[in-house]
Amino acid sequence: MLKIKSLCVSYGAVEALANVSVHVSEGEFVSLIGSNGAGKTTLLNSIMGIVPSAQGEAIFMDKSISSMKIHQAAAKGIALVPEGRRVFSNMTVLENVLMGGFSKSSKENSEKLEEIYSMFPVLKERKNQLAGMLSGGEQQMLAIGRALMCRPRLLLMDEPSMGLAPLVIKDVYEKLAALSKTGLTILLVEQNAAMALKYADRGYVLENGRIVLQGSAKELLGDNEVKRAYLGKEYKEKWER
Amino acid sequence: MQFLYSGLTGGSIYALVALGYNIIYNTTGLINFAQGEFVMLGGMLIYTLFAVFGMPFIIAFPLAVVTALIVGLLFERVFINLVRVKSDINLITVTIAASILLRDFAMHIWGRDTVTVGEFMPVKSIELPGGVISNQSIMVIAVGACIAFILHLFLKRSKYGRAMRACFDDMTAAGICGINAVMVRVMSFGVAAAVGAAAGVLISPITFVTYDDGLMIGLKGFAAAILGGLGSFWGAVAGGILLGLLESFAATIMPSGYKDAIAFVVILLILFVKPAGLFGKRMAKRV
Repeated sequence: MLKIKSLCVSYGAVEALANVSVHVSEGEFVSLIGSNGAGKTTLLNSIMGIVPSAQGEAIFMDKSISSMKIHQAAAKGIALVPEGRRVFSNMTVLENVLMGGFSKSSKENSEKLEEIYSMFPVLKERKNQLAGMLSGGEQQMLAIGRALMCRPRLLLMDEPSMGLAPLVIKDVYEKLAALSKTGLTILLVEQNAAMALKYADRGYVLENGRIVLQGSAKELLGDNEVKRAYLGKEYKEKWER
Repeated sequence: MQFLYSGLTGGSIYALVALGYNIIYNTTGLINFAQGEFVMLGGMLIYTLFAVFGMPFIIAFPLAVVTALIVGLLFERVFINLVRVKSDINLITVTIAASILLRDFAMHIWGRDTVTVGEFMPVKSIELPGGVISNQSIMVIAVGACIAFILHLFLKRSKYGRAMRACFDDMTAAGICGINAVMVRVMSFGVAAAVGAAAGVLISPITFVTYDDGLMIGLKGFAAAILGGLGSFWGAVAGGILLGLLESFAATIMPSGYKDAIAFVVILLILFVKPAGLFGKRMAKRV
């Protein structure tokens, strides 16, 4: 469904992504893990058309999306839940959600809205509050709800665990797993490797702008290098086992 | 009381101009210093359509506003869109340049002299407690209030109005939602021009129109926007009316020659004492 072929992105002289190739098939839940500054957000932003790519190609549903503007990518059926949520803080929760369905008719939106309310009841309870007043977890739910309003085929999730309490993170991931079960394709980037790999089908490891490992989520969870670098386990443990 | 009535009339106009500033500020973060020129343009257009071509007012008014709206759209396409590096300071400087251009065009088209638009309806004075008010003034206040209310509904209820507010909150997130940020910017210039021109039409029979009117009324509207708190909708309305009242009442204690200075004294005082403006709470959210 999504194919990224040897993508290179630079910020001035700094090369953020070098020859990154990633693919996501229809219905898959793929996690891409990496530490701070590995280029995770850059990858998603580049798919979405927020940052331009220097080289390489992104193909979505057999069409190149490399030179698309943000709103055109959104119209193609790609939705991004950006890093740090980025809800419209001066608008109410309801207005935020409706904004996600900007390009859809109001009838389509009111149907989808009910669906989203039943998935995230908290959004219904707080629909008239300003989004800036919500807690981090609620804002994350709102950002996901907003992204779902445009009925995406591919959901890009940028660091959903950022700044959230462990229980809330679990809640967010449960929702994502449920969405994935309904057939939604998800590409998620995350520092929290344990969480990201636990719920995903497949994974990639990004380091300094390069893909260094890939495999099924189980394989990656069992990989010694991943354990050491991302799951906080020492070499010692590995030797002892 | 008489000062109250005349203050309200002037204040309604300032409020509309201040709203024009806010529309553009709220979507792009820019101050459009050509906003006053749209007011002048509204006055000149109604002069052309109503006084020269003799169209009925009921047709000439919307036509003038729509023409100004189109000029606003072109204004964005030419002056804002073509600027390569869209930093705020570049764009604001461009709006100042554009305002001078518009003023000079107006001077060539309509001449240097003040033009008289004539009355939109037979003038009657209405006795009110403590003074008289002309039906012209009542029309200015009533239509001004209507425009402000329609604008409020547009921003709160309509999809495009919400998109404009979303762009102000977070341009990138708005793009993610499928909103074309450039389209919203074009639209905001169009709407702001239309609101400014409507103000220009309303005030034209009372103050007449001169090609360089835009400068002063633009700056006073800006003062009103600052007074109410830049970016706040009802702040602009309140700031405009307050400024109108201040000007009007100041005439009782000061020589009327100082009338124009009031607006600038207000800007200074606000910036010294309460930089966010009287009703500007939502400022500084923009990242």
